[in-house]
Amino acid sequence: MNSRWPLRLTVAISTAVAALVLVVALLHTRLDVPIVALGLLLLIGVLLRSKVGPVRAALDHVVCIALLLLSGPAATVVVAVLLPLTQDRRLPVMRRVFNGAQAVLCAAAAGFVFVSTGGERGDAVLDAPGQATVSGFAAIVTWLAVNASLMCLVLWLDRGSTSPLTFLRKVAAPTVIPMTGYGLLGLLLAVVWIGGLGIGAVFLVVVPLVVARWALSLYEAERNAQAATMRAFIQVIETKDLYTRGHSERVSEGVGMLGRRLQLSEDRQLALEHAGLLHDVGKVGVPTSIIRKPGRLDDAEMDAIRLHPARGVELIGNIPFLEEVKSAVLHHHEKYDGTGYPAGLSGENIPYFARIIGIVDAFDCLTSTRSYRPARGVEETLDILLQDRYTHFDPNLVDAFVAVIRAEGWGAAAAEQLAPDSSIAASIDHDDLSLGSGGGATGSAAGPEL
Amino acid sequence: MTGQEPALGRLDSGVVITLAGAAVGVTAMILTVRNGLTEWQYALTFGLLVAVGEMVQFRVDRSRNRAPIATSAALGYVLLRPPEVAVPPEIAQAVAVTGVATLVGVLPRVIAGLRWDLVVSSRRVVSVACAAAVFSAVTPPGLYWSGTWQDAVALTGAMLLAVLTAAVVDAFVGAGQTTERYNQPFPAALRDELVIAVRIGLAMGLSGVLLAASTSLIGLWAMPLVVVPLLLTQFAFRRFASAQRTYRTTVRSMARSTEIAGFSSPGQNARTAQLAVALGHDLGLTPSRMEALEYAALLSGVGQLALADPSPGGASLLRTREERRRAAEIGASVIERSGVLDHVAEIVRHSNDPYRQGRANNADIPLESGIVNVALAYEQLVGEGTGQSPAKAMESIGLGIGAEYDPVVVESLRRVIGRGFRF
Repeated sequence: MNSRWPLRLTVAISTAVAALVLVVALLHTRLDVPIVALGLLLLIGVLLRSKVGPVRAALDHVVCIALLLLSGPAATVVVAVLLPLTQDRRLPVMRRVFNGAQAVLCAAAAGFVFVSTGGERGDAVLDAPGQATVSGFAAIVTWLAVNASLMCLVLWLDRGSTSPLTFLRKVAAPTVIPMTGYGLLGLLLAVVWIGGLGIGAVFLVVVPLVVARWALSLYEAERNAQAATMRAFIQVIETKDLYTRGHSERVSEGVGMLGRRLQLSEDRQLALEHAGLLHDVGKVGVPTSIIRKPGRLDDAEMDAIRLHPARGVELIGNIPFLEEVKSAVLHHHEKYDGTGYPAGLSGENIPYFARIIGIVDAFDCLTSTRSYRPARGVEETLDILLQDRYTHFDPNLVDAFVAVIRAEGWGAAAAEQLAPDSSIAASIDHDDLSLGSGGGATGSAAGPEL
Repeated sequence: MTGQEPALGRLDSGVVITLAGAAVGVTAMILTVRNGLTEWQYALTFGLLVAVGEMVQFRVDRSRNRAPIATSAALGYVLLRPPEVAVPPEIAQAVAVTGVATLVGVLPRVIAGLRWDLVVSSRRVVSVACAAAVFSAVTPPGLYWSGTWQDAVALTGAMLLAVLTAAVVDAFVGAGQTTERYNQPFPAALRDELVIAVRIGLAMGLSGVLLAASTSLIGLWAMPLVVVPLLLTQFAFRRFASAQRTYRTTVRSMARSTEIAGFSSPGQNARTAQLAVALGHDLGLTPSRMEALEYAALLSGVGQLALADPSPGGASLLRTREERRRAAEIGASVIERSGVLDHVAEIVRHSNDPYRQGRANNADIPLESGIVNVALAYEQLVGEGTGQSPAKAMESIGLGIGAEYDPVVVESLRRVIGRGFRF
């Protein structure tokens, strides 16, 4: 508890300052039409409580910026107090109080910058539109900057799961341009309002915002549909083999964990997870009779298995993924010492994603049940991976993966495992390291003979 | 899409629209040159915006490219009024600026080898001309942004009317084009176009209104205020469009898995889907149903992957009915598991039900299942030029009418084949 006092102190101080600012602002505010109308608009927004957060935030932002030009900084500060009301009511009280203070301080800073750069309000906006535009822009930027700084301060003091840097990278950076851009609509709202349209201007300005939100939700829907369809796709492929069911999703999860440890950019992280999910799609081109064949495979059958990476690329080649996804699918059976397939690449010549998938692929196979052997323990498997550094895997990546699994655990495997069942004449998994010539590694991981 | 050639001697609607656009544009150009250009800085700025919007056009749906920024800018230019714009642009000048700017914007795309579509651009010229005519007809010359709410409301009303005109004209032209190109019934095509007009058109129109109002009030300072949000929104749409493309190709790849596994011959799924889409257009399905239909036709065979060995040549007609229905059931349950393609799963589930035991007595089974059923059968018979002749295939499908196949769909097939549909 003791370590939380700087945080509480900060919250208390900013709340006190905000309260003071608010009182001063209240004294300077004359109730006029824009305050009442836009204040009511915000409150209606609270009641409607839209599901898409960012656009709601954008609308609130637009309204506040417009008020700056319509009724001045004091009015903006007063209305800004309403902003936290639009947030989720399940948030802790301290968070919401601080958010209120934060909004007031942002509005005050933005108002200060607006006035001190010579921004006018009311009809004067139309007389000096250049001045109003420049000052308004400065106010928008100030608002966002103060907001981000306060967030960073609190996150830094909180020492919670989100670091200030993560916040800046994941939340602030992607939203700064849209928030600034849509903030300009606030200036526009004020201009058209003053031009005579009054509250009707809100209608004109809200529509572009709603459309923006629509585009955003369409995008999200499409992304989700894409992810769901790929999983269904994988399940289609995996209907061929009972024992590898869920393998692709687990590999995707495993490479995801490793990717986060390696701090990939968001694009590449997603691409890596896709590649993990799709690495075995080419198995659909391998005759089911070979996949399900009990016992060892002869050379011709092994050749058919070795075709599956190329088949996979053939299948997904048209999907506009990052190029890395395709190379990862093609090369996920290469080995670090150059004895893998299809190209016999070695060392760093193997694409990065392929090296990552190779490790997780082998790991999931060993920790899963096969008809001819039970699942291995996680620790045991990690030891096997460590022994195969340099021969089979990229040593650095193996170390990273082992560290991730030891730190975060591996929950995916145990969940839905079939018991080894000698009555099912199932195949030998081509990924299985524990078998000498089954397509896996040679050497240290010799498994049970059939 | 259907590979149909327009009948010789019949004038393609695209040509008509382009000619109309060109005629309107050239006339406007001549009038403008004769009368002289007024307020050149606005003409230049809005023209530039139209050109840029044209340059960054993109495609949201499958049908055509869109350049929302160009449309908003062109409409905005038409609707300018005093005080900042002392002499509002004449109709001819507004159309001429739009036309020239459109050409300037398309040129870089032509040079860079990107997709471009002069018909869509011509449609804009025509609908902008209509908007300009309506706006100048309903706006008294003395009406301007005086600061009073009466004038502001009157102007906004006039602008909305003009924008609405443009949207309706464009919807009619678009519906005509769709009817011609995909043989969709005109009312259905008009309904689809109006839905699009309400969604995207409204936004483009209102952005134009906003652009015009603010420019009339504060001059060119309004430009960045409107353009930046417009660009952001367009960026969001482009992102959506690319996600959509990824999604579509994923479904197609998923469908191709049956080919790679040897359950169907190369291109079989694509051909089936192509025919199903043609039938769907003919029957006037809505765009969302069309999409589900196409996916269902593509994915109708995935259930076979769970069956042990491929049948030789991929002819699933050779399988027993029970086996086919079981495959359809497995396929449907797999598709259903994705959670986003439920409607597609439903179509696939019943895609191998004979009409008499299926749709004839069960209104819950979608028409699309009957379409996929017929498309599958016809594709099996005709295939990639190696099978029977269309007439022969039509004949054998006709034998199954009412028992095996849905009469409505078979009639539609007869029309589609009669119009010259070939794989």
